[in-house]
Amino acid sequence: MINSKSITRNTSSRKRYALAAAILAVNTVGPLTVSAFILPSLQHQRQRTNHVMRATAVAAKPSSPVVVSNNAEELSHSETTLRLKPSFDLFQLLTEEEGGIIPPTTTGNTHRDSTVLHTSSQPTDTLKDVKLADYIGKGKDSRKIESLPDPFKMVEKELKPFADSISELVSSDQPILSMAAKHFFEKRHGKRFRPVIVQLVAKAVAAAEPEQIGVNGAASHSVADGTANWAWSGASDVDVNSANHQGSDVWRKQAQLGQIVEMIHVASLIHDDVLDEADTRRGGESVHKLYSNKVAVLAGDYLLARASVLLARLENTSVVQIMATALESLVSGEIMQLKSPPKSLLQMETYLRKSYYKTASLICYACRSTALLGGHSYSSTVATACEEFGFHMGLAFQIQDDILDFTAAENVLGKPALADMDLGLSTAPILYATQEYKELRPLVMRRFKDKGDKQTALEYLYKSPTAMNKARALALFHAEKAVQAILRLPQSEARDALIRLTHAIKDIAMCKRTNGQKDGVATELKTKRR
Amino acid sequence: MNATRTQITGRIFRKMWQERTLASMANFVTDSIKDAVKSSILEEASRPDSKLWSAADSDGQTKPYADLKSDKETITMKNSLMTGYNHVNSPISPARLLMLHDPLDEWYLDSKPSGLSAPPLKPESDPFLLSKDDMKTLSQSIRSDLIGSDHPVLSKAAAYFFEEGQDGGKKVRPMMVLLLSRAMKIHTKQNSVVRPDLFQAQRRLAEISEMIHTASLFHDDVIDGADTRRGAPAVHKVFGNKMAILAGDYLLARASIFLARLRDVEVVETMSTIIEHLVRGEVMQMKGSDVGATENERMIQYLRKNFYKTASLMANSCKSAAILGGYNDSIVGAAYRYGKHLGIAFQLVDDVLDYEGSASTMGKPALSDLNAGLATAPILFAAEMYPEQLIPLIERKFKYQGDVDVAVDYVKKSGAMKRTKDLAQVHVEIAIESIAELGPSIYKEALVQLAHKVVDRTR
Repeated sequence: MINSKSITRNTSSRKRYALAAAILAVNTVGPLTVSAFILPSLQHQRQRTNHVMRATAVAAKPSSPVVVSNNAEELSHSETTLRLKPSFDLFQLLTEEEGGIIPPTTTGNTHRDSTVLHTSSQPTDTLKDVKLADYIGKGKDSRKIESLPDPFKMVEKELKPFADSISELVSSDQPILSMAAKHFFEKRHGKRFRPVIVQLVAKAVAAAEPEQIGVNGAASHSVADGTANWAWSGASDVDVNSANHQGSDVWRKQAQLGQIVEMIHVASLIHDDVLDEADTRRGGESVHKLYSNKVAVLAGDYLLARASVLLARLENTSVVQIMATALESLVSGEIMQLKSPPKSLLQMETYLRKSYYKTASLICYACRSTALLGGHSYSSTVATACEEFGFHMGLAFQIQDDILDFTAAENVLGKPALADMDLGLSTAPILYATQEYKELRPLVMRRFKDKGDKQTALEYLYKSPTAMNKARALALFHAEKAVQAILRLPQSEARDALIRLTHAIKDIAMCKRTNGQKDGVATELKTKRR
Repeated sequence: MNATRTQITGRIFRKMWQERTLASMANFVTDSIKDAVKSSILEEASRPDSKLWSAADSDGQTKPYADLKSDKETITMKNSLMTGYNHVNSPISPARLLMLHDPLDEWYLDSKPSGLSAPPLKPESDPFLLSKDDMKTLSQSIRSDLIGSDHPVLSKAAAYFFEEGQDGGKKVRPMMVLLLSRAMKIHTKQNSVVRPDLFQAQRRLAEISEMIHTASLFHDDVIDGADTRRGAPAVHKVFGNKMAILAGDYLLARASIFLARLRDVEVVETMSTIIEHLVRGEVMQMKGSDVGATENERMIQYLRKNFYKTASLMANSCKSAAILGGYNDSIVGAAYRYGKHLGIAFQLVDDVLDYEGSASTMGKPALSDLNAGLATAPILFAAEMYPEQLIPLIERKFKYQGDVDVAVDYVKKSGAMKRTKDLAQVHVEIAIESIAELGPSIYKEALVQLAHKVVDRTR
């Protein structure tokens, strides 16, 4: 705590306060230097052809709840663990050069064919086979990222009415508190990143026709008596397309899901803040910290409870199951972070798994749930593409964050924030440096506990010519995979906006500037960590 | 020369100190901001009329998003409610909620127990004997699921109260659910059931309710800083605060997954409401009653808090068991009322035992409520007789030296214990009356026995 008596009365103290306030302000009120989006939006009319048989057998009651069939349970759970397979087993974590393997085909990831959803009855996809790398670089052959729609602008107005969002919880008549809340809850990505992704994915899947999936050629499905083919799990009796999606009940449920995701995320942030007794005894602030614990537990519980009730009201038990698994993943990730055997801390695989659990799992499960709410079935190409997109996007974001921990703060404070190392965490840049310099291994294994460890690690990081670049390349790898996944969906404004969002991550990770002026989307995303 | 050197050193020190304070200020700002933000979430949550509690109220009113208030929306919504098509934030099956209209106003404070005593206990209708096997398999089943987690420490923490051979608490809640399920089945004599796996589903429901209960225990013990629970050290003493909280979250997540796999949307909503009520009760307890409330208001607030913290879990679990069976509304209502009134009685007797019991007969030390500053039924009844002496103590939460002893004296003097026990008896009788409509069976007798046991117990 600051001893106010020792603050000198000269102007430098005022400057310090001003600087601190400025840091806060910059993060929350990020300047929107956005380039207007140039090309007209890509509208295309969709004809709702007589397409697939769906669970129309129970069309009688529009609100008939959606169930998970027996087969689905058997196929998506194993005997001993009784849980959904974690996605990192389905999708690739590391590049092949680093020892990553292309995961085997399992029932969860069979439908990754990029031609399935692009039928000949649609106009051709202008972004067919595009890569993120095409948008990097200033040559005249490279595409302009501004040609894609702005993701935040697209959903800005839609997200306003949903009053359950966290920043409305923290009352608006105390502006400093609102600003502070934004700083706390959105410290990494600002602008309610998760609900934005959910909204955009919702729009993107509305543009895709639900597929006909069946066993032995026939799509057997009767939700009522539970004999539905497992592949149909989660599919609900909805009929929306791009034209009537906005404002429909499906849209509302998906927007609600975005809020639920945000609540779960914040609840886990708050619960992660609970301090152990060892921490409370330090510094003699135990009373304050004990009260803080109480408040932390209750506030987090409140948010989780609220999220549970709202989740139940989406009337889709598959989605409930998936989001509960997301909560479980968050808990597992936090525990992995707390207690891991020291040797495992040296492996990239551990770091990526932990990143999956802590960040990517919520986003990828949210994306898959959005597809289910949109009427697509569990094993459809659409749902798998959404999950894969969310998975890689989440990992790319996490790696970006970890890079920023070293690079961003330098611009403001003059030295890196090192918040991760303070917690004893070794992230991608350090791990790559450790692969090069074996001297770093004991430091990583003892979580930088000794005096001077952090400085040493930092020195080695700066010494290594490749560590930071490898980390950036990893972020780019995942960003590319995310784009590949989302390109499987038919073209729509929302899908293209998602590509732009992914590009913004890569932008930050590579610390690139286009023509001396940063892409507005990237500016919105980039924040300084505490 | 010296002056210059001092100046230079001074400048260097000042710069270093500036950097340090800036860094520490950044932390300071963040910590207190976080605390302020969390507190304001709780402030909002503790207001009973907060919109955050809307639509979950048991009085069946639906309160859709305030902003979507255009006329067209309202009309559409009314229409859809009438045709049974649900708006995305309205309760599922509003008709049933209206039927179970439960504004939590009536607590029968002025009723007197009719003095009927428990019928003689026959071994074939002993609730504990009847459900013994089921309870064993319940613990086993929960344990085998939790052990499947990826992380061994997490599994251990989460399964802390489900260990083999441990006493594991009284397991009243699952027992109620299971006995009720069987009693209802016999009553309705339905040959065709709504679902072929009905009994497994109801058994799974009992497990879910026990998991939710355990999760709430983990969190509550961290909040209260309790040392022991059920005769063993509290979870957070063994594993640490953070692990206890995370284990509670993990239990909650697993419970939700099982809940979803029951494939009944109304049940999912009912059980989720329990979680919300648990938090609401805890927030009410933390906030305490308003200063300057009358004795009656205080008592009502206390009883409502009891409902949210204890009775809601029992009431809604029983209700869910009935919903799973597809029984008619009157059976569902009977199950709900049985659970609710038994839960109220259970908590009242708990509060009495806190004054009467000692650390050896119960798993937790006596007078823990008073020492924690909580005003429970006995002290509230005593305050009705001795307001000037006791109200100030209640309002300052028994903080001063000697407050606790004074309070205990007055409680003994005023006969408040008997009044509390009488109130518990009244609620037990209402509970028994609720299930009177069920057809005769050993399970129904067991339920009656269980109800009487709640009042007659010593731990």
